[in-house]
Amino acid sequence: MKGIFSVLVENKDGVLSAVSGLFARRGFNIDTLAVGETDNREISSMTITSTGDQRTIDQIEKQLNKNVDVIKVRRLSDTKSVCLEMMLIKVAYNLSNRTPLIEFCQLMGAKVMKVAPKYLLIEYHAEPENVEDFIKVMKGYGIIEIQRTGTIAMEK
Amino acid sequence: MRLTGAEILMECLLEQEVDTIFGYPGGTILYVYDALVKYKGRIHHYLTAHEQGASHAADGYARSTGKVGVAFSTSGPGATNLTTGVATAYMDSSPVVFISCNVAESLIGKDSFQEVDSTGVMLPITKCTFQISDVNKLADTVRRAFAIARSGRPGPVFIDILKNVTAETAEYEFVPKSEHKKSGMLDALYNRNMADLHKPSVDEEDIDKLIEMIGESEKPMLICGGGVVRGRAHKEYNEFLNLMDAPSAITVMGGGGMNGRNPLATGMIGMHGSQASNIAVNECDLLIAVGCRFSDRVALDPESFASQAKIVHIDIDRSEINKNIATDHHIVGDAKEVLRMLNSRLSQQDHTEWKKFVFSYPTETIYDEGGDTLNPKQVCDTIARMVPDDTIVATDVGQHQMWAIQHFHFDYPGQLLTSGGFGTMGFGLGAAIGAKAGNPDKAVIHIAGDGSFRMNCNELATVQHYGLPIITFVFDNQTLGMVRQWQNLIYKKNFSETNMDRGPDFVKLADAYGLRGRRVTNQKELAEAIEEAMSCGEGYVIDCMIDIDEMVRPMVGGGSHITDFMKL
Repeated sequence: MKGIFSVLVENKDGVLSAVSGLFARRGFNIDTLAVGETDNREISSMTITSTGDQRTIDQIEKQLNKNVDVIKVRRLSDTKSVCLEMMLIKVAYNLSNRTPLIEFCQLMGAKVMKVAPKYLLIEYHAEPENVEDFIKVMKGYGIIEIQRTGTIAMEK
Repeated sequence: MRLTGAEILMECLLEQEVDTIFGYPGGTILYVYDALVKYKGRIHHYLTAHEQGASHAADGYARSTGKVGVAFSTSGPGATNLTTGVATAYMDSSPVVFISCNVAESLIGKDSFQEVDSTGVMLPITKCTFQISDVNKLADTVRRAFAIARSGRPGPVFIDILKNVTAETAEYEFVPKSEHKKSGMLDALYNRNMADLHKPSVDEEDIDKLIEMIGESEKPMLICGGGVVRGRAHKEYNEFLNLMDAPSAITVMGGGGMNGRNPLATGMIGMHGSQASNIAVNECDLLIAVGCRFSDRVALDPESFASQAKIVHIDIDRSEINKNIATDHHIVGDAKEVLRMLNSRLSQQDHTEWKKFVFSYPTETIYDEGGDTLNPKQVCDTIARMVPDDTIVATDVGQHQMWAIQHFHFDYPGQLLTSGGFGTMGFGLGAAIGAKAGNPDKAVIHIAGDGSFRMNCNELATVQHYGLPIITFVFDNQTLGMVRQWQNLIYKKNFSETNMDRGPDFVKLADAYGLRGRRVTNQKELAEAIEEAMSCGEGYVIDCMIDIDEMVRPMVGGGSHITDFMKL
């Protein structure tokens, strides 16, 4: 199963390494990790997604709660929260497939940020599943480079 | 009052009522040692032979007194030498504040002499770490560190102070310990629902449900774990045990959590558990485990462990619930509080038939009484007969550790000091030093194997210098006995690199450190040596010669069914 955790932490040195170290040490997976400051500069917010069995996902929540620098842990369900991921992707094109590629981007609401002689630089943000699907389609054209932010999530 | 960082640190230790420190000086911590002289008489510092010795001594002090232990080290190798002791304290939930200094701020990150990222190193083996780079935050951070070390599930905290901070000055105001909760960062921390700083409030419904389960049970079994010891809940546990009228085992960490001479005691459980303990766990219909974490040495095979029982887990740490074993019911809370609540609601139970069944199996291993040579049980029995009943026993790790726990009876928290979780060979002598420093009126003995003793026997210098009358018993079988036992049983007698047929001569070694010692080969000599050791008033080493192929019995292999005793 998938676990989505929204974690408020102290915004200071070593907290990210403490949290990522916890996952490494206990053998938990980090699928994605996104970190940023909140409106309070002393507090950062992390969205962590992980995959594991029920017991593992429960353990992740309990272990996170034990960390002194962790202020609050919320477990989000994907049905009751908004999950988004953003991606920048460079996709190769040639004269014959350029038009369908651009049409596909328009259809999906992806933005072409730059048209270079051999590739398009596309920005796409959507629910994580759609991002995965988008990547699958882009593989058909040829992916040159990809950058993903990881999931950010918020309870509805 | 304007003080230097080093002086503020001393004042903060006094706020915490710390009067004993173990440590070793070096370049970056010199200002602190400089200030220490001014506090002579109020803060006693024990200079050990090695930082590892200091780390175990602080741990042994904490375990035996229930107070927070403190150890000092310098940067770099000083800090890394602490790590084995830090991890030992962490695995056994012992409250110790380790304080190290690092290079000055201008030198940080430049691979300076004796620089290491010590907070990074300590991160996975502490409850939390702090690096202090601002003298104005020093007092607040030290208060926070002590509060975290001792509260919730206790454990070690590491503080790294930059050298310049110890020399710089700041305003310091005394804050009594009782007011710390309301001061500075701790105030914010306490207002937060932080699992490890609060004692969780016990849910009454959880208690009622357990009472109901007890009422339905015909064959209940108890396990006394380290949480009973750490929570100093032995009185409550003994009362609970007697009300339950059920057999109770101890884990390695649970020794001293219950009255070891109680007729309901089945002895240790797990890999080297007694037949009575292991069979009772397998046959019971209700298993109540208090403050134990079902490690792989207890719940050898998690799937088949207590398979006929409803398993109830009582622990202060929520993350322990369902971590290793799936439970049927749990109560999150401090052992003392939970047991008190249970005792007030529980009526006297009677399980005569079930007890008769369990105690038809031995609670202790019987050895051949062949002649006047020494076998492990004879060594333990002779010691137990001659030393006071409340003697504190510090062990190293290996066969001798298991024998000590199997054959001694422990009655109160802090009487048994042993590295259960981390299994740290060389723990015992440092721990004994810490215990004696914290309990000057009690007798302290150190049970070692010849392998473990070799690791940190340098601390005999500390024993001698401070005139600590600690008796070291070396169970000397000229081998790494526990490893040899596995080689004997599992690795087809391929005794790879376990022979210890080499020096030093432990009696001469004691002599070199200015202490007396004696090698004994039979019970008469052993008794004479103990007599002499107890009357000499200083450290003493007794080298007890036992057979190289002596084994810890019974034994169940790792991952096996708990009653699958090996043929030894």
